[in-house]
Amino acid sequence: MDVLGDGLVEAVRLLLTGDQDTWAITGLTLRVSLTATVIALLIGVPLGAVLALGRFRGRRVLLAIANTGMGLPPVVVGLFVTVLLWRSGPLGALGLLYTPTAMVIAQAGIATPIVVALTAAALHQVDPDFLLQMRGLGATRVRALGALLTEAKLPLLAVGMAGFGAVVSEVGAAQMVGGNLAGETRVLTTAAVLATSRGQFALAIAFGLVLLAIAFAVNLAVTFAQHRQTATR
Amino acid sequence: MSIGCRDLRVTAGGRTLVSVAALDIDDGETVAILGPNGAGKSTLLRALVHLTQSSGTVLLDGQPATTTALRHAVAAVLQRPVLQRATVLDNAAAGLRLRGVRRAEARRRAEPWLDALGVAHLAPRHARTLSGGEAQRVAIARALAVAPRVLVLDEPFSGLDATTRTDLLADLRAALDRLSASVLLVTHDRAEAHALAQRTALLVDGEIRQIGKTSSVLDEPADPECATLLGFTTHLPPALTGRDVLLVARPERCTPLGDTTPDPPDSLVFEGVLRRVVPLGGAVRLDVDTGHGLAASVTTADITAAPGSPIRLAVNVDDLRACGR
Repeated sequence: MDVLGDGLVEAVRLLLTGDQDTWAITGLTLRVSLTATVIALLIGVPLGAVLALGRFRGRRVLLAIANTGMGLPPVVVGLFVTVLLWRSGPLGALGLLYTPTAMVIAQAGIATPIVVALTAAALHQVDPDFLLQMRGLGATRVRALGALLTEAKLPLLAVGMAGFGAVVSEVGAAQMVGGNLAGETRVLTTAAVLATSRGQFALAIAFGLVLLAIAFAVNLAVTFAQHRQTATR
Repeated sequence: MSIGCRDLRVTAGGRTLVSVAALDIDDGETVAILGPNGAGKSTLLRALVHLTQSSGTVLLDGQPATTTALRHAVAAVLQRPVLQRATVLDNAAAGLRLRGVRRAEARRRAEPWLDALGVAHLAPRHARTLSGGEAQRVAIARALAVAPRVLVLDEPFSGLDATTRTDLLADLRAALDRLSASVLLVTHDRAEAHALAQRTALLVDGEIRQIGKTSSVLDEPADPECATLLGFTTHLPPALTGRDVLLVARPERCTPLGDTTPDPPDSLVFEGVLRRVVPLGGAVRLDVDTGHGLAASVTTADITAAPGSPIRLAVNVDDLRACGR
């Protein structure tokens, strides 16, 4: 009990006194995970839209693959990206392994299937005749698609949230492709693992609290956005 | 602007859903496509405005039209109102917005159409809170607001109760008069065709069986299927009547005769066996087996005959239509 109690007190003190390392790690975590989420959205939303709206052979199989991808273990993605970026690997010449860029690549790889599958699900919820009606009002294909995405913006907001939540909290891939290098690739999750293994529970709890705070802040923002949307009706 | 088609054909899975050699709607004219469920009415409408894959040519003002040209000219109202997650006013303005009109301008131009359709008071409401009838009014206002040169309506009244439908029909008629557009109305309801369309085409099995002035088409079926579609459901084959063509009549024009009643003048009288008496609230429908198929009579007369007993039915010759085949 002492360990936990003292740990909490110490953690709050660390955060309040503005411990430089903690804030640097938080900054990197946000930078890596937000970048990865944006990339996953840029790739995943169009793919999800194609899967939701397209009529082609193999659509169901691809949808099943995307759904499976939602449960992709971060360690597997980390392993795959590590092999790709390994010095003797196919992309080894780029020298990206153990850099934040490698972590962004791995986390985007984790989030993209989630975004694809949830985007497809979100668009399925819109009236099946929606695109037809928009085009029937004179919309070009692109404008009709824009109207569809606008119509589904609340579930799509949740898609982004789910993607970000998945990558900000994962530790396996970040550890493998980032290497947890102090001041370079150390993020909240890998830092918490390291601190715990060293018995620095207060520090680990501090990292944990920051992670929770980030998750809470993101959810709060999205919930407010959704509430504002529904309140305007 | 006139719209038309040549050799318009829609196929799915090797089956022809719609095959129309020619259909023309003049500038400012309203044409109704009347047909039973599954006849391909909606498919024809969608093919005509390039909302579904088809072969053949669509003509605008007599010239082959591209999809882009059709998008500019056409506004469509679907059977079920598909509204956006927004206010009624923004929904009414949506067609204009999709055509690149700025929000304020779109709202300003949409507002009078909400008024014309009797839903101006709902403007600030969210679309999700509307009843079916209100939503369809908004959908129609949205289509009219873009000032389409061609308006296509796919059974816009089908999901509505009778009173709402009558009111909306009147409001739509008035709104169409304000707008000089070619209108294609798809419906399975004769009253709607009668109220709105100058000409009516009968669509059966994806083909136009009959087209002409609405009042004549509705009263002069060309073949037995058209006759059934138009309510001439009592079919009297030559074997029964001794004439050389099929005669058809509306059940409400077939009068049952009492046992001792003499044959009325200028009437065709035939006999059969009463199979069933179906109460219709006020009137009854008699299903009569003539030995050459079923004939129906809808009457308000007091019926004492029981199923299984012989019965005579009379139809005035003016109420009979000859159906050549």
